[in-house]
Amino acid sequence: MLETVNKPSPASAAAPATVTWPVEGVRRVPFAVYSDPAVFAQEQHAIFRGPIWHFLGLEAQIPEPGCFVVAQVGETPVILVRGSDGKVGALVNRCAHKGTPLVFVPSGKVDQFMCVYHNWCYDLAGKMLSAAFEHGVRGKGGMASTFKKEEHGLQRLRVHVINGLVFGTLSDETPPFEDYVGPGHVANIARVCGRKLRVLGQYSQKLPSNWKLYIENVKDPYHASILHAFNGVMKQDRLTMEGGITMGARGWHHISYSKMHTDTGDQIYSTAAMRNAEIEAYGFGLRDHSMTDIWDDHGDGITMTITTIFPNFVLQQLRNCLAVRTIVPKSTHESELMWTAFGYEDDDERRLQGRLKQANMMGPAGLIAMEDGMIGGLVQKGIAGDLDKAAVLEMGGHGIEPIPGSRVSEGSVRGFWTGYRALTGY
Amino acid sequence: MTANVAHARPDEAGARALITAYTYVLDEGPLSDWPAFFTEPCLYRITTRQNEERAMPLSIMLCDNQAMLYDRVEAVEKANIYEPHYYRHVLSDSRTLRRTADSVIVETSFICVRTMLDGRTTLFAAGKYVDEIIADKGRQLFRSKTVVLDSSQVDTLIAKPL
Repeated sequence: MLETVNKPSPASAAAPATVTWPVEGVRRVPFAVYSDPAVFAQEQHAIFRGPIWHFLGLEAQIPEPGCFVVAQVGETPVILVRGSDGKVGALVNRCAHKGTPLVFVPSGKVDQFMCVYHNWCYDLAGKMLSAAFEHGVRGKGGMASTFKKEEHGLQRLRVHVINGLVFGTLSDETPPFEDYVGPGHVANIARVCGRKLRVLGQYSQKLPSNWKLYIENVKDPYHASILHAFNGVMKQDRLTMEGGITMGARGWHHISYSKMHTDTGDQIYSTAAMRNAEIEAYGFGLRDHSMTDIWDDHGDGITMTITTIFPNFVLQQLRNCLAVRTIVPKSTHESELMWTAFGYEDDDERRLQGRLKQANMMGPAGLIAMEDGMIGGLVQKGIAGDLDKAAVLEMGGHGIEPIPGSRVSEGSVRGFWTGYRALTGY
Repeated sequence: MTANVAHARPDEAGARALITAYTYVLDEGPLSDWPAFFTEPCLYRITTRQNEERAMPLSIMLCDNQAMLYDRVEAVEKANIYEPHYYRHVLSDSRTLRRTADSVIVETSFICVRTMLDGRTTLFAAGKYVDEIIADKGRQLFRSKTVVLDSSQVDTLIAKPL
């Protein structure tokens, strides 16, 4: 029943990892991929330092030359910076001398990057400018004659800017961004981020689970109105609304969307063996309507879009509540979910306040998002001890093709594993 | 009683008694008593120190009227799913930041320890309360309460208000 794939380990990778993937393919997920340290190391090499586009930040966070924010591409620390020419660049946050991070605050503004350890200095494009005592003191000492500053600049990432979102890649093999995500993704990013963005704030969550349990959860519309009873009961996002899933290039990325004004599904939600039926007996309903007082930002009646880009990026439009999220792997059993909420520069006061109120739905205290913070940790506890077993993903069939007009499918989750297997070789 | 008395500014002792009673309700329950600590309208927010320092308006939790406070209680008690846990708040002395015609604005440092039912006890949150407190018919109430967390990173989730 089982096929064993031995991944030949590239010289730069850590210990070779062996994962036994069930013959059923992506409709099974071996529990070992959430727990094995060798898998974690292979992911860092083959995915995060491999041919993927990784979200780094918003252009609006670095409005002027010298403004920077930090990001993490897998384990690699990165600086996103606006150069002196006004262009956005990304550098590995690591001095070429000893490897010290050049900046260790989340954001700031500088003229150059100077390492605190021995004052090696770099310009905003990463070119090495100087080192302390490079010519010695009073003619004695100094760097060896073999030392050439032009060979010791900071490692640069290739960047792609799309509607104010900045992505970067550490690999020369990564295809152009548009080819990587596909035209539907390019169009929806333009739809959600097509006006000048205004950053409203940030926070993060430390999650007690492997990063993939979070991204699977985001890509799984099957759970959204079940686990998040608030969603179902408040009729915010239910599978009985008009909506669907579109897949990005190669099925690795997805967009889930719905139109909340098209719901017809009271009966299935109140009669099925679901918590919703139980909760409706309490008569739970929102007393306050300012949070659900929504408007159509994009003129198309689509009230919810969740867009993922492989491996770990989410663009969220929950009605008028807009945010980007990145799930950063920390170890096999820990990850950090980074949130940045945004609106538009031209929002009037009513819209700004509306977005801030709707932000009650997102984040660590999110009326909808709260459960996403804990469910991965629960799964991680449940799978402990039996890592030779596998999860079963058969809702909506075996494949990754979307079902037209339906979101009752795990096809987008299977799409994630398609990309995962292609890059890791498992 | 005259209208003057009804709108008298609370003294520091009354303000402090309100803050103390508030944290005991969060720690001991019932959570359904939480909205009664606020005026109508009101402002309750949880935010982070970094968002405050950067003048970013995003909140982790935001309620600006009694209905929103009750909605949050109902969601926490009936809809949201999370591992059940207890809070234990420990407060510093309060200091008065300023007084207005009818209110006093004080800040108080706090830590909140979270204990899960399996026994795990962790330091969950550290930060400060910035409270605007008024007196209304002999009672003290929060006109606004801003919870500023020192850390921008939350362990897993915040279900109950802080």
